[in-house]
Amino acid sequence: MKLYIKITLFVVLFIAIAGIWYALHMFNLQHPDTAKVKPDFIVSATALQKEFEDNETAASARYIKKILEVTGNIVSVTPADSAHTNISLKTGSDLSSVICTFKSINDPSKFKTGEEITLRGECSGFLMDVLLNNCAVIPNKK
Amino acid sequence: MKRLFLLFFFLIIVLSINAQKYMTKNGYIGFFSHTSMEDIKGDNNQVAAVLDITTGEMVFQALIKSFHFDRALMEEHFNENYMESDKIPKSVFKGKITNLSSVDFTKPGTYEVTVEGDLTIHDVTNKISTKGTIEVISSGINASSKFKIVPEDYKINIPGVVRDKIDKSMEVTIAMKYLPMAAK
Repeated sequence: MKLYIKITLFVVLFIAIAGIWYALHMFNLQHPDTAKVKPDFIVSATALQKEFEDNETAASARYIKKILEVTGNIVSVTPADSAHTNISLKTGSDLSSVICTFKSINDPSKFKTGEEITLRGECSGFLMDVLLNNCAVIPNKK
Repeated sequence: MKRLFLLFFFLIIVLSINAQKYMTKNGYIGFFSHTSMEDIKGDNNQVAAVLDITTGEMVFQALIKSFHFDRALMEEHFNENYMESDKIPKSVFKGKITNLSSVDFTKPGTYEVTVEGDLTIHDVTNKISTKGTIEVISSGINASSKFKIVPEDYKINIPGVVRDKIDKSMEVTIAMKYLPMAAK
């Protein structure tokens, strides 16, 4: 009987600790490193922007919250707030681009206007431009 | 020749109108709530904004899903439970500088302004009025402001269990670096 109680207590304690550990883990969970996540879609900046411009509803359903690997030429590199940098990619439209927000980019000056770049980010949707967040550069993929 | 002259005249008008508008697509809007239990901070660096210096009109547009948080779960709750960003993807502010005459856009310097307008969050529109700063620099115009909003004013329901973790009012920070709108 005593052994039975001991085992029960042990199991309950184990579940409680596992529960707390899991809750804390979920609570503190960071965003996945997009550089290491397999992309859901691989597209060019031009094709991506065109899809949103032609049919925003369909493109939104297809791309929002998905990880996209996008290749395009840099139009501008803009320091945003103190922690973030935005890189805009050229598309078929002069008024609309693909804006990609990076957190803690090491050296923004190494990105030159006109250069081709491949990056991964999570699609937030379309405002005047296609917006990607949580971006990471994919090196050696030119 | 007459036609060419007219075209030229039209072009000048278009150029001069465009020169009065400033815009950015890399604007910043953040919000912050502090309680003894938890700090909540969301940042959006993809705000599209236009400022017309002849009328003082300004428009901000932001995607809710562009707000990012350090914690992935917080971002998920923000989008799914509170802002319902699948249903209501955008927030918009349309307003006007009420003391436009006190700003000299031709002279670099810092000017205090009051802005009034309609703020739409979560499909609810409220009139707001806030103080802000306009800084005229050689390359463009910087605008910034800080004000408070109450989530319940925008029908954002925060359940009682977590209400204590979120401050009664959120501090909103605006920072825009406008550039002259390129004449196209």
